[in-house]
Amino acid sequence: MSILLQYIPLGLLAALLWVLLRRRAYREFPCFFLYVAFAVAAGLARFVVHGNQHTLYATFWVTDAGYALLGALALYEVLRKVLRGLTGIWWAHLIFPAILAAGAALSLWHSHEVPSQVEDRLLLVIVTGEIAVRFAQVLVFAGMVAFVPLFGLRWRQQPLGIAMGFGLYSTVALLITLKLSDFGTGFKFLWGVASLVAYSLAVLIWIWFFSFPQKEEPAPNPEQVAFALDTLNRYLEWLRRMR
Amino acid sequence: MFLATLTWVIVTSGTLALLYILRCACTRAPKFNLNDLVHFLYPVDVSLLDSLLDPAADFSLRWSLNPRAFRREQRRRMRLYRELLRRMSHNSIILAEFGNALFGEDERPPLASELEGAVIKVRLYTGFARLRLRLWLLLPLDSLGIVPTPQLARLRKAADLDGPKAYDELKIAAAAAFAQLQPTELEALTRNL
Repeated sequence: MSILLQYIPLGLLAALLWVLLRRRAYREFPCFFLYVAFAVAAGLARFVVHGNQHTLYATFWVTDAGYALLGALALYEVLRKVLRGLTGIWWAHLIFPAILAAGAALSLWHSHEVPSQVEDRLLLVIVTGEIAVRFAQVLVFAGMVAFVPLFGLRWRQQPLGIAMGFGLYSTVALLITLKLSDFGTGFKFLWGVASLVAYSLAVLIWIWFFSFPQKEEPAPNPEQVAFALDTLNRYLEWLRRMR
Repeated sequence: MFLATLTWVIVTSGTLALLYILRCACTRAPKFNLNDLVHFLYPVDVSLLDSLLDPAADFSLRWSLNPRAFRREQRRRMRLYRELLRRMSHNSIILAEFGNALFGEDERPPLASELEGAVIKVRLYTGFARLRLRLWLLLPLDSLGIVPTPQLARLRKAADLDGPKAYDELKIAAAAAFAQLQPTELEALTRNL
């Protein structure tokens, strides 16, 4: 694959970073902003050390761990935004740890069933962690989409857009990593092309979701709501008397 | 084998979710006329709701009726409460749809977020409460003497949410969100919810 094609996602990520800066999305989604900024820096670092195989190897794995960690943080941010109405409910705080634990359990189970070719212990931890985060990203995305018809949520909102980008990439990555590895020598090429296309699409989705303004004001406090209701009741009472 | 199936289920759910969002993006949202809102709502009798969830009612029925008659009466009350839950759930989704149509996609006022949060709470409560009711009605373990006949008052809280309180919050949020309705329509809205 040509080097230019390999760095398409980097160009798209730079465009996304610019969109996020313009929309001041770092206020609403600091973790996602950090993820994108890191992705741009990681892409640049990989590009710079491209000639040196040994340094590229180390950079690749270190940045991969960063992707997984910041991807999980961005996921937490997305869930917190969507479930912010459930702040008083104790089990709402357990949703994210439960999803992450399910992802980790599935990843560990998979590494037990299909032992990895990676021998280095640290790399094995990174690979297992990456697969765990991918499982969690698909689960969160599928769960959030289920929320749309169940709770009448809008589909065109930025948290869902972030989850969709991660969900798309992780679905493809999981499918290829876990299911299509039987392709043998053709697998490496397939993985390269499919992950490149999926990640580019994910970044395009993020650009699209952040390209329109979406200002979510803080919810009014209970006193304000009670005052509004009191006014409304008085108004209704006055109408009844008019009749 | 089980792991492979589970992985496929997760990957398929991700794919289906993507297809669903694609469908949402391709289909145009129906245009709602705000003045039609009231006609889509099913009235919820608050006094009936309170009486069904009153622990004293459970207690007095248990004392005044024999076990067989009490079981029959409780099942009747369960079916009534199930109907109320169905209406609450229906009303909340209608309010969410009209809210989405009214406030649009982009710059949403705080009232829209308040309504969205209230809808989630009501839908969660009604979902869990209906599930419990369905199990109670489906598995009449009390008639076999395995467990005592369930008390409806226990359904006041489901999924750590107080049902009547969550529905009251929805009413407040709806009244505030749809304040631009005609006065008569607004009155009908608060009456019908």
